[in-house]
Amino acid sequence: MSLLDRKLLRDLRALKSQALAVALVMACGLTMMVMTRSLIVSLESARMRYYEEYRFADVFARMKRAPDDVARRIAEIPGVAAVQPSVGRMVTIDLAGLPEPVMAWFGTVPERGEPLLNRLHLRRGRLLEPEARGEILVSEAFAEVHGLGPGDELAAILNGRKVPLRIAGIVLSPEFVFEAPPGAALPDNRTFAVVWMNYQELAEAFNMEGAFNQVSVALEPGASERSVIAELDRLLVPYGGLRSYGRAHHASDVRVDDEIRVLLGLSVGFPIVFLAVGAFMTHAVMSRQITLQREQIAMLKACGFGRREIGLHYLKFAIVIVTVGTVLGVIGGVLLGHRLVDLYHRFFRFPDLHFELATGVLFAAAAASALAAVIGVWGAVRRAMRLPPAEAMRPEPPAQFEPSFIERIGIGRWIGVSLRMALRNLQRKPVQALLTATALSLATAILIIPNAFRDGVSYVLDFQWDIVQRQSATVSLVEPGPSRALADFRTLPGVVSAEPFRATPVELVSGPIARRLNLIGLRGEGGLSRVLDGELRQIVLPPRGIVLSSKLGEVLGVRIGDEVLVRSLEGKRVERLVPVAAFSEDFAGVSAFMELTALNRLLLEGDLVSGAYIAVDRGRWGDFLAAVKETPRATSVVVKEAMRESFRKTTAESIGVLQMIYLLFATLVAFGIVYNSARISLSERARELATLRVLGFTRGEVGAVLVGELTILAVLAVPVGLWLGGWLARGLLTIVNTETVRLPLVLTLANYSFAASVITVATVVSLLVAARRIREIDLVSALKVRD
Amino acid sequence: MNALAHSSAASSGRPPDLARGEVVFHVRNLSKTYGTGEAAVHALAGVDLDFRQGELVVLLGPSGSGKSTLLNLLGGLDTPSAGTLLYRGWDLGAADEAGLTQYRREDVGFVFQAYNLIPSLTARENVGLIGELASDPLPAEEALRLVGLGARLDHFPAQLSGGEQQRVAIARAIAKRPRVLLCDEPTGALDVRTGIVVLEAIESINRELGTLAAIITHNAVMAAMADRVFSLSDGRVVNVQTNAQRAPVSTLAW
Ligand SMILES: Nc1ncnc2c1ncn2[C@@H]1O[C@H](COP(=O)(O)OP(=O)(O)O)[C@@H](O)[C@H]1O
Ligand SMILES: [Mg+2]
Repeated sequence: MSLLDRKLLRDLRALKSQALAVALVMACGLTMMVMTRSLIVSLESARMRYYEEYRFADVFARMKRAPDDVARRIAEIPGVAAVQPSVGRMVTIDLAGLPEPVMAWFGTVPERGEPLLNRLHLRRGRLLEPEARGEILVSEAFAEVHGLGPGDELAAILNGRKVPLRIAGIVLSPEFVFEAPPGAALPDNRTFAVVWMNYQELAEAFNMEGAFNQVSVALEPGASERSVIAELDRLLVPYGGLRSYGRAHHASDVRVDDEIRVLLGLSVGFPIVFLAVGAFMTHAVMSRQITLQREQIAMLKACGFGRREIGLHYLKFAIVIVTVGTVLGVIGGVLLGHRLVDLYHRFFRFPDLHFELATGVLFAAAAASALAAVIGVWGAVRRAMRLPPAEAMRPEPPAQFEPSFIERIGIGRWIGVSLRMALRNLQRKPVQALLTATALSLATAILIIPNAFRDGVSYVLDFQWDIVQRQSATVSLVEPGPSRALADFRTLPGVVSAEPFRATPVELVSGPIARRLNLIGLRGEGGLSRVLDGELRQIVLPPRGIVLSSKLGEVLGVRIGDEVLVRSLEGKRVERLVPVAAFSEDFAGVSAFMELTALNRLLLEGDLVSGAYIAVDRGRWGDFLAAVKETPRATSVVVKEAMRESFRKTTAESIGVLQMIYLLFATLVAFGIVYNSARISLSERARELATLRVLGFTRGEVGAVLVGELTILAVLAVPVGLWLGGWLARGLLTIVNTETVRLPLVLTLANYSFAASVITVATVVSLLVAARRIREIDLVSALKVRD
Repeated sequence: MNALAHSSAASSGRPPDLARGEVVFHVRNLSKTYGTGEAAVHALAGVDLDFRQGELVVLLGPSGSGKSTLLNLLGGLDTPSAGTLLYRGWDLGAADEAGLTQYRREDVGFVFQAYNLIPSLTARENVGLIGELASDPLPAEEALRLVGLGARLDHFPAQLSGGEQQRVAIARAIAKRPRVLLCDEPTGALDVRTGIVVLEAIESINRELGTLAAIITHNAVMAAMADRVFSLSDGRVVNVQTNAQRAPVSTLAW
């Protein structure tokens, strides 16, 4: 090892706490980068294996009822490789011991042999025996929540008849990687299940023998999805077909895509912020180091070391820091990545989801952190390279001091000597003061981000469940029925009020852009489920026109007064231009609303409802649930509190874990930055402080100079940091927000206070550590050699 | 002084040395001005001198007379504002950054006014560090022994007195067996006894290797050890004194 490298190691040892602080900041950024990138790779490869091995279909369609030979005609469409017809129905399940009814999507498997497409992965138990009756397969997430296993029993209301069923096996399906009711943005594994039965049994129960009402299609390699979809739609029209769609609109697959998109955003956003902070800290540390070593650099140059050797020597500081940071970051990313893959198992059910290290990201991580360090160190190193060697012959000229601004305006009398010196120091070295203040601002800012995410999530939940949905339950009819049905619901025990709604699948078209969704018809001024604008004021649905969620308006590129084409996908399949009346606020998915009678007029089907929102007297809640379970006309009942509870146990908890990781990192980084600043401040002053001590100042007085400086800077920097944090959080939210899930920017006082408190605590702790160092200043040597 | 004697210029692969008495530095009308306009300082204002192979030169003059400036120019630390500065016929005054670096690396040994040691390296390492640049360096231990620090090899600068630090700096300068040894007030911080040890080391390098040595001092007593004494004042050479006989260092007293 060359002696210059030995110098490097010794200098680093002296700088170890600062170097480690910088390395840790970078490591935090890289951990997130490695973790999120690896999660993306893990999800993508698990999905690819799963879809391939279990033959996930490419195109999906539903219809009212199509005879079996239609499946043969579908198979003849050019480009179609395989066709899997089946029967699917939403069914209410009665689970012993659970007060709420459970909604279950019942699908069928062929009587004999495995399905051609969307095969099931058996987790426990066995698949269904041929000709077996009263046997079912149950989705894993639901089974787990309720501790169900093979041999357990439950009851289902099949077409109005309560049927006892026995669980044969617990399974996964590529169609339900994300196990959520159709149209739901959040999983609800407590009151939603997916169940499979032998074809014959379910078909008989719903009078569908020799027919099917849903079909999955696999395409030949290179076949055009669009033309197959077009042909399929044409073929299915006589059978009441809804428009068919590809994977890009498959609820479960889209949800996985969305998660990957969010991870992608996080994998860029957070590391950029952290590495930028790391670059900044590297700059602060190296600038200081090079200033301290001015004479050494000049001497080395005078003795014949070239610019390059000098530059390389100081770059090596950064290289060591980056290497340590990268190694720690990769280790952290791998460890946390494993942990998070387990967590993801709660949302996404793959037969085999395991941690896969994104090897490409290792290079990216090393490159990104190296880039950050080089950017951080570049200016300082160039300064070292340019330093004229003749400087070696001259000691540094004494610093110019002058009375500080505050003293000049006459307040000086009222402040002590220490504070006066602190002020003069800040004024004398404005660049250093600015750097320290910037560091403190950054530290504050990064603390804002994770809590802004947390507050955003909880705002959305409150918004969804307290402000928008005031009903305690939503009851849906098997099929849209006359509004008389409402009267039946009103007579259920405990019902305080009930409001009808109509939900119908439509396609909204504006120019080249189209979106499919359930158009909801509501009473103009509903009291239970309400449509709200950005300021949370209720929008009264007008007798003419459609209300779109603002995201949908953005996607379609329309403004109030513009017309959108509403194309119904069910029943009479009307097409009508409807003006946009207002934009509503919504944080999940896209939605559209019309006044109920206006919607029914548009659909040309008379006065129909799909179900009702119901408010129930709390005291009679149990009676209500029991009665609803026995109501044959109600296929699905969504109980708000059950959904919220389930959400709390799954999604919120997982988001909580992620948020805690980020917050922990942010806190760590904030401490690192503040400590680093205090140390730099101390080392800049070591000689001066030692001189003060020699002149007879007490340790307390000397410490007060340092405390004064940092306090003044913190007071100035923290408000700026709070503002900057809000700005960064907005930027990150923009990156991660998607069409299916959006978080609003919510900045709370609690968030601000937390950030300010952490910075305060970090400052106090750093000062205490620094104070110990002041005590250790060796007065004689501090004055003898410059260091 | 065996360590010095066994070496020869030929073994290091450099071009053959000049014969004793040939011109090493050819200085004509050399000027250095710091700053511009009103604030301009004429540190050197037209200096004409020749420095010869093998001689030991003492630069005398009051503080601010331009001694360090002249030495910096000779050492390639700085470039002149005007005039001619040739080193062995090579135009040092017009050399570029790379040329100057190469020159300082191969040919020049410096002893600085302010020691300029690396605080994180021991005495031995400080000397060895510069030795790494040379093709045939003196072992660090040997160089330190020459300045009387054989017993303090592994001390850090902070553990040495100011005088000892200066001796480490001198060991560092001589370790690369330079062709020109430029010393800016090397004994300023030393007591008489160590001062003599240091000057003897410089003198013996000069004598045995034929190295041109230039020593800045404002101590007139040291003029006796030189072949020639250049006196500067206000950036000009005001007197050149040639000693018929160099006084042995051990006889100097101040
Ligand atoms: N970098 C510089 N900038 C401005 N003036 C300088 C600089 N270096 C030296 N001087 C001035 O040049 C003159 C000669 O300085 P110097 O050569 O150091 O004198 P000496 O070494 O004889 O004491 C002095 O007046 C000094 O102030
Ligand atoms: Mg001088």
